[in-house]
Amino acid sequence: MATRVSAGRVSAYFIAIVVAVIFLAPLVVATLTAFKSPREITQVLSFPTQLYLDNFVVAANQMGRSFLNSLAITIPAVIFSVVLGAIGGYPLAYMRGGSSRWIYFFLLTGMLVPFQIVQIPLFIFIRTIGLYDTIPGMWLTHTAYSVPFCTFFMRNFFASVPRSMYEAALIEGCGPFGYFWRLLLPASTSGLSALAIIQSRYIWNDLLFGITLTNGDEAQPATVAIAGFVSGVQVQYGPLMAATLVSVVPVMAAYLIFQKSFVRGLLGGAGK
Amino acid sequence: MTSVAPARRRFYFSQRAVHLLFLVLPVLLFVTFFIYPIISTFYLSLQDWDGISKSMKFIGMANYVELLHEPRFFHAVLNNVTWLIFLLLGPTGLGLLLAAILDRGLRGERVFRIVYFLPFTIPAVAVAAIWRWVYEPTSGLLTTVLNVVGLGSLAQNWLGDPHVVNFALMGAVMWWMTGFSFLVFFAGLRNIPVECIEAARIEGATPWQIFWKVSFPLLWPSTIVVLGISAVDAMRLFDVVWATTNGGPAYASEVLATQMYDVAFGRFDMGRASAISVYLLILAGAVIMPYLYYMSLRVQASEAE
Repeated sequence: MATRVSAGRVSAYFIAIVVAVIFLAPLVVATLTAFKSPREITQVLSFPTQLYLDNFVVAANQMGRSFLNSLAITIPAVIFSVVLGAIGGYPLAYMRGGSSRWIYFFLLTGMLVPFQIVQIPLFIFIRTIGLYDTIPGMWLTHTAYSVPFCTFFMRNFFASVPRSMYEAALIEGCGPFGYFWRLLLPASTSGLSALAIIQSRYIWNDLLFGITLTNGDEAQPATVAIAGFVSGVQVQYGPLMAATLVSVVPVMAAYLIFQKSFVRGLLGGAGK
Repeated sequence: MTSVAPARRRFYFSQRAVHLLFLVLPVLLFVTFFIYPIISTFYLSLQDWDGISKSMKFIGMANYVELLHEPRFFHAVLNNVTWLIFLLLGPTGLGLLLAAILDRGLRGERVFRIVYFLPFTIPAVAVAAIWRWVYEPTSGLLTTVLNVVGLGSLAQNWLGDPHVVNFALMGAVMWWMTGFSFLVFFAGLRNIPVECIEAARIEGATPWQIFWKVSFPLLWPSTIVVLGISAVDAMRLFDVVWATTNGGPAYASEVLATQMYDVAFGRFDMGRASAISVYLLILAGAVIMPYLYYMSLRVQASEAE
């Protein structure tokens, strides 16, 4: 019996380690490549003999602006979408009767639609209102397409806050608006921050809306710039890996720091 | 009592008014950015239009009919279906396996957890950039490793060969997406009461039996979440494919979303592209509607309890 259990444990360790190595290898190689000079770059498995930082300089010259754009797009869009999720989720969690259920399901369908069905009219609409290739245009777009998920997420989070708190507040003379602003939001920071992390990944990593609605230095996010770089005829892997590394860091860091609250928020939002 | 009633009613009325007020902005955005464009796409799909000129030409169902005669279109549909099957089974299966392994309480669990989850946080274009380097045919990581272990003859032109490119992309996506299902399953396994597992162990069940007879059925809520999200992802799939191969070589790795983008913004045939996206919507509906139906049955059942 004992040997069988330990054999199981050995194979568990074996699989866990092999998969971990396979998962890490591309990231490690990409990181090493970012620090290699063009001469060394074809030796994939070797370590760089010196820290070659020119790749980052080239990347900064070609794509620096797009990284600033990405920041300028992501931070406000995350705030807007989370706030809007809370605003939409609140009545849906507390209203009684069929109408709120209908609105809820109505919004939910938006989570399941492939965005291609809106892509062309969106492009025409944003161009018509003069927001094509602008950062506010990206805010508007990301906020609008986040409505279904953010509302869904915050509704489920608010639904887990005891209803007695709501009724007690109303009896104390706190209006429904005051309850939302002074009690519910401060009590929901873990849900709001989990949603903020999910949204930053989603908006920072977006390619589809960026590629459809921007067309140049003014508003192009980093993902679009990198995609242009990747599909170039002669790919310079050194600068590309440097840019890739920089594009990966912000969201990865956010997830590592807030891992716990992300998992909790995710299960609160989706597990039930 | 009687004096309280009207005040209460007014109170509830104002409460409802505030709630409805809160819903104005989300619903307005939803109508502007979902409902209106969807209707507009249906309208555009009946036109011949280059997206720039002032006038469109109404051509009825011609776009839909012509697509049905295009091998390129069918190839993309087939690719979407293949991706659907792959995403339902591949990352889900590996994520479940990894979660089950880690749930045994391995040493260094935290590190493993972070490593498995890391790729999920990175942008699709970074996945594309990194894996283009891994798949570089002469000096990329995969070819180099195969050469080192003496299997150099297995090396392929990973992204350049129409027969290989889809498998290569799926490998990259497996690496990218497994972290999500892993994390959901792992958290789900942690939520299973220890007593259930303990009881089965006392009855003499092997770890294998415990997993399939006890843990896995209790994990079903996590499983349906992962499967639902995978299905939606398979229909939406665009960014990894576009950034890695542009749908090439020779349209071999194209899915409906990348084909639609190419037809709309590469060839400026907005009517045809709209028809592609309507077909995609129908395909997505056919996949997702049964899922929604099942979910609503579950919700009803849980409300009845």
